[in-house]
Amino acid sequence: MISHRDSNAQRIAALDERAEALKLKRGMGIADARAMHPSIDVVEADAEADRRLLEGLADWCDRYTPLVAIDGEDGLFLDVTGCTHLFGGERAMQDEILTRFFQQGFDVRAGLASTPGAAWAAARFHGDRIVAGGEEEALLSPLPLSALRIAPETRISLESVGLRTAGAVMAAPRAPLARRFGATLLLRLDQALGRLDEAVSPRLPVAPLSVERHLAEPVVLTDDIERLVSRLAVALKSDLERRGEGARALALLLFRVDGAVSRIAVGTSRPLREPTLIRRLFHERLAALEQDIDAGFGFDLVRLSVLSVAAFDMLQGDLTGETDDDDADIALFADRIRARLGEAAVLKPVVVESHLPERAVAIVPFAEAPQRRMPPNRSGRSAPPMTIYPPERPVRLFRSPEPIEVPATEMPEGPPMNFRWRRALYRVARAEGPERIAAEWWRKLPGEEEAPTRDYYRIEDSEGRRYWLYRQGLYGASQTSPRWFMHGVFA
Amino acid sequence: MAMSAVARDTVFALRRQIAKIEGTLPERLEVPAPSAPVDVARSDITAEITIVRRGLAVASPDAFLHTGIEHLDTALGGGLPKAALSEIHGLETRDAGAVAGFALSLASLILREKQGLPILWVGTAEIFREAGFPYASGLHALFGIEPEQLLFSEAPKLLDALWIAEEAARMTAFAAVMLEIRGSPRLLDLTATRRLHARAQNAGRPVLLLRQAGEAEPTAAPVRLIVSAASAASRETVAGPLAGSIGRPAFTVDIGKSRTALPGQFTLEWNPDEHAFEERRRGEERRPQEERATNPVAVVSASARGADPAPASGAVLAFPALGSPASGDQPSRQQRPAHRGPRRTG
Repeated sequence: MISHRDSNAQRIAALDERAEALKLKRGMGIADARAMHPSIDVVEADAEADRRLLEGLADWCDRYTPLVAIDGEDGLFLDVTGCTHLFGGERAMQDEILTRFFQQGFDVRAGLASTPGAAWAAARFHGDRIVAGGEEEALLSPLPLSALRIAPETRISLESVGLRTAGAVMAAPRAPLARRFGATLLLRLDQALGRLDEAVSPRLPVAPLSVERHLAEPVVLTDDIERLVSRLAVALKSDLERRGEGARALALLLFRVDGAVSRIAVGTSRPLREPTLIRRLFHERLAALEQDIDAGFGFDLVRLSVLSVAAFDMLQGDLTGETDDDDADIALFADRIRARLGEAAVLKPVVVESHLPERAVAIVPFAEAPQRRMPPNRSGRSAPPMTIYPPERPVRLFRSPEPIEVPATEMPEGPPMNFRWRRALYRVARAEGPERIAAEWWRKLPGEEEAPTRDYYRIEDSEGRRYWLYRQGLYGASQTSPRWFMHGVFA
Repeated sequence: MAMSAVARDTVFALRRQIAKIEGTLPERLEVPAPSAPVDVARSDITAEITIVRRGLAVASPDAFLHTGIEHLDTALGGGLPKAALSEIHGLETRDAGAVAGFALSLASLILREKQGLPILWVGTAEIFREAGFPYASGLHALFGIEPEQLLFSEAPKLLDALWIAEEAARMTAFAAVMLEIRGSPRLLDLTATRRLHARAQNAGRPVLLLRQAGEAEPTAAPVRLIVSAASAASRETVAGPLAGSIGRPAFTVDIGKSRTALPGQFTLEWNPDEHAFEERRRGEERRPQEERATNPVAVVSASARGADPAPASGAVLAFPALGSPASGDQPSRQQRPAHRGPRRTG
């Protein structure tokens, strides 16, 4: 028995068959129930866990149709349009779903109808029923008003005027109903009867292409899964070729025998359709996830879905059958690294128009970087002579400038004479600078304090190492003395 | 001191004997002229040993990357092997700027021939945090490497970094692969370097292993260079050097291991305009030659993690021309001892 707190009293939220046999009811106070039967076992309701369970079930139902939606706290909508023939018809499919759920230990009621509203009513008020198209009215007429999915207040006020069944509401004139009880009532009625379309919004975006394989004998080994992936990818290839597209994101869904579903996604940085390459990507991903995937008693359904596609540019190979495309090699290499180590494993610098050193080069993941263009060819046309040399920039830049201690400077605005960085003392032999870099005022938010300017110095210490330091702020500009930072290292 | 010098000579003679028996005499080249003390020490040696020029004679000169500094190229036996793993060491993490700068200069030289190909820089998250992330604007200005040509890979763990580097080393789509590691991790042992080296040889692409604050450990790389920062010369102006200014990047390069086993210390300056090295020859800025230059081999081979790993240990002797792509230089089966393995250290 499960209790929950409702308007300051512990009440029964759900109860099992044995508790029902004891004449306990939903909504009864826990104190009353305990008074009747002191030995009952009460568990606190956990809405979060219920939700997770429902989502797990929704994942599992993915095997029947890609369009699965969660309905409230205890229901699932499956849009099986066009899927039933795969399972031997509507009756066979519903039976299979019910049997499978029953075997997993769930008490499930199912209804199948041509509208979501009618299916909802059939599932909740009949248990196991298939409503043929056009029979919705006959189904709904004898049912109470709660079969119409309306708010409890509307239901109570309808009952107060003597309309106790859905059939009575259907028979009543529409205009006064709409005026008195709002448009929702008629909307629900029309949706249930199929006069208006109702869209069931699926939990997950529907993949443009998927191929799957039901297995008589569940697979456990990673090698077998990989082999299956390459077989599925072969099937996928012809579909992709027909559409003239390549996959940009792929997902592998592994349905475990006991209902758990593993979802493994890989991204590609250029459209892909070659089965061997798809297999290699999943090989890396599976190797990285080896600890996380629990095969248990095995997977009995393996599905490979293409989550997003892009136009595939055909390349003319040369006569030996090899395309000498270095960029493709690198893209595949980057994809494999990303599949194993995550999105941020391969990075690419992108130059940004900014004079703040840390903003001037953005480091972006490879897949998001703009496609590489060939570096400008310098041999043919010589660049115009540079009259203004760009300021020198270090070869390495610290992600966040590291504070250093500067005991003294020769001049208030000058470079330090020595400094302490990472607990070691450095003596400055030579210094160049300052190069003043001010904050970008156009990026400042209206209420924000203006960031102090930075004076950058190139420093060479007594051992010949060169560093890039800066002083944030000016001496005498504010009460606090300016701080010094180490920002980069020169070659 | 005298005692140790005698012992050193004895060990040296014995090593030569062993090498002669094994038939793995290393190639000896003309000793570079400027290092006078070395000359004296070697003149009597060269008189009695046979000069075996294996590897070099058959290897095409194209197999080496010429640094442009004749002495350095000679000391390395023709230059840095292109299809091989090369180690570049920095003694401390704070040398990371100089080590990276030197490696990038080499990459810049490589890019002269392989224009447009990208460079992959693999590092652990640790080194990028400790020593700073490569800064593309600076690299472009100094080494002429376009930001589009750069690809970074930051691996959370060393094992992942090694995996990425191994996967990249066998690709021909990269002009060079740089792997940056901090410290002396156990994972980066002889086997790991041998794998990298083999893949680099197969692909014909250089792999530069940057080891910050690492000790000289057994490695399969034919060349190990120890790089530290050298104080830069002043900027040149029309009116002469500008006092107090910091000019071009300068490095001090020690040869820790090479096929010729010739010692050497060079102070190189990188010319960012020409993209070429220049050697600094002025006497006053050259560091004094250290004592070990007279006889570069330690009395006892350095242990793997010893307290005093000498930068140049003698095991180079039993490491003949591994880096060269030629196969004809292997000794015949009778000559090849069955247990060459332990001698490969160095």
